[in-house]
Amino acid sequence: MTESPATKPANGEVCVKNGLKPERNGFVKSLDRCHERQHKHHWHPDEDEIHAASYHGSLYSRPFIESFEETPMLVAVLTYMGYGILTIFGYLRDFLRHWKIERCHIAREKEEQKDFVPLYQDFENFYTRNLYMRIRDNWNRPICSVPGAKMDLMERASHDYNWTFEYTGRVVQDVINLGSYNYLGFAENTGPCADSAAEVTMKYGVGIASTRQEIGNLDRHEEMEKLVAKFLGVESAMAFGMGFATNSMNIPALAGKGCLILSDELNHASLVLGARLSGSTIRVFKHNNMQSLEKLLKEAIVHGQPRTHRPWKKVLIVVEGIYSMEGSIVRLPEVIALKKRYRAYLYLDEAHSIGALGPRGRGVVDYFGLDPCDVDVMMGTFTKSFGAAGGYIAGKRELIEYLRSHSHSAVYATSMSPPVVEQIITSMKCIMGEDGTTIGCDRVRQLAENTVYFRKRLREMGFIIYGNNDSPVVPMMLYMPAKIGAFGREMLKRNIGVVVVGFPATPIIESRARFCISAAHTNDMLDRALSVISEVGDLLQLKYSRHRIQPSLARPFDDNVYEDIDD
Amino acid sequence: MALGDCWKQLSWFYYQYLLVTALYMLEPWERTVFNSLLVSVAAMAIYTGYVFMPQHIMAILHYFEMVQ
Repeated sequence: MTESPATKPANGEVCVKNGLKPERNGFVKSLDRCHERQHKHHWHPDEDEIHAASYHGSLYSRPFIESFEETPMLVAVLTYMGYGILTIFGYLRDFLRHWKIERCHIAREKEEQKDFVPLYQDFENFYTRNLYMRIRDNWNRPICSVPGAKMDLMERASHDYNWTFEYTGRVVQDVINLGSYNYLGFAENTGPCADSAAEVTMKYGVGIASTRQEIGNLDRHEEMEKLVAKFLGVESAMAFGMGFATNSMNIPALAGKGCLILSDELNHASLVLGARLSGSTIRVFKHNNMQSLEKLLKEAIVHGQPRTHRPWKKVLIVVEGIYSMEGSIVRLPEVIALKKRYRAYLYLDEAHSIGALGPRGRGVVDYFGLDPCDVDVMMGTFTKSFGAAGGYIAGKRELIEYLRSHSHSAVYATSMSPPVVEQIITSMKCIMGEDGTTIGCDRVRQLAENTVYFRKRLREMGFIIYGNNDSPVVPMMLYMPAKIGAFGREMLKRNIGVVVVGFPATPIIESRARFCISAAHTNDMLDRALSVISEVGDLLQLKYSRHRIQPSLARPFDDNVYEDIDD
Repeated sequence: MALGDCWKQLSWFYYQYLLVTALYMLEPWERTVFNSLLVSVAAMAIYTGYVFMPQHIMAILHYFEMVQ
């Protein structure tokens, strides 16, 4: 059962099975009515942000606090105005390029093809030519050192407004790195991980020259897979060379025609691609919204397949552990309760949450204190917390044996390179504590402290931060297009490297700067980063939040709010 | 240094204007085009207001029967 001592209700409520509350006369309420009751009871009067401090007493053992403050109206209007002005000037420049008044630097059709269907007239290309190119110097910056807590950048200059770049020859030293997915600080070139990887390179070389199924299966791969299974607490695991390919090549092996895939609105491109390649019917539920998911599940069970009304062969719910653009954590206890009730399967993509969440670093399942056997397919990547590359899928032994022969990635893709495998083995042993030190444990704790501190300070300063309080991915809203470029450049001038994200990856007015906290960041680095962010925030007027939280005032948690729930 | 402070403040306001209208991302000649358009439209509006304001005010007062 999923009940652990942590999830048992503290206030002596009736014992709950499967997350459902039995009513007094023995009938079981559905989860959505249970939610309505809960929300009505803790509604705060000053809300126009969706500040869901959900505490469904029996499902969650700790408060689940996430917030997505609404865009202020004036900021939204000004952002649209800014995009409007840029669009008008974009049309003007396109007109000048078309009539050859101005030289065209970007791809266009050949003379003979001018009468064919146009290739570059859609909005994506218009956006790239006229908006992205103007602030292109904030992306693809060449790094010339290991991307740890501090890194070195090659300095670039452009004389024709970002169409071409030249290197000035100087190197910008010791830039604080707030953009790398280096959650536990394993991206380093010294230490036990790097040494063991070097040793293995001496022994096995770097290339494998075969696929996993043919003759590319090393003993290091077998050891790594056993270690991954032990780390996650499941029966067996399998690793692949590329995280994106893990999703896009394995979902087609698991679902096919006649199956239903229920995927979250904001799932990653690899999950969407894998779902589309599989040929199943895809239905999308609102982001992290359990009522929407339950409605879809009910409809699927009641109506079956679209025309024939036969039951679905299988229903697969695809969610992620941490959504990297929003910083939100999936409501896993509720998803598992729903999955059990409606007999669906769960595919959990822990790309960002493995190693970064949970008291022992075992991911979102550990964070909520749940049983890993409840999740049917656990997927994750080694890129983020382990400092390596690649992905894995873990679950029951039969599932993994099936994937070994039926997955496209196993059959056609080259297997992982030995130094990468060794990096995974050493870093995983470090996190589990099997190398005899407490480094792993310290790093997990350091990351949790850094995250809470950074988010709290940013919120106090008045920035709009999205996501859950415990997620190490911190998106800070910028909104206006000019501020995207200005923020990236001003931070680099002050020696801090950040990642700014704009249109295709986010909705058009919700552009943001995304910080990734690492266990390798010391308190000094975080303080320096915070003071610089505050300075740049004042310069660019980024402090949009209308809910200034006083530093000393912690919200008191009211236990007696739930006493008047009557079943 | 009141003039220096004033100049700094004005310069900051101009920077905010550039950020909000997204002129920050445009090339200098595009900024000139936009600024001249904006200034000419604003100048025309002020001139029209200046020329027609007395007539409008007299019409309003006449409507409210405060003056013949």
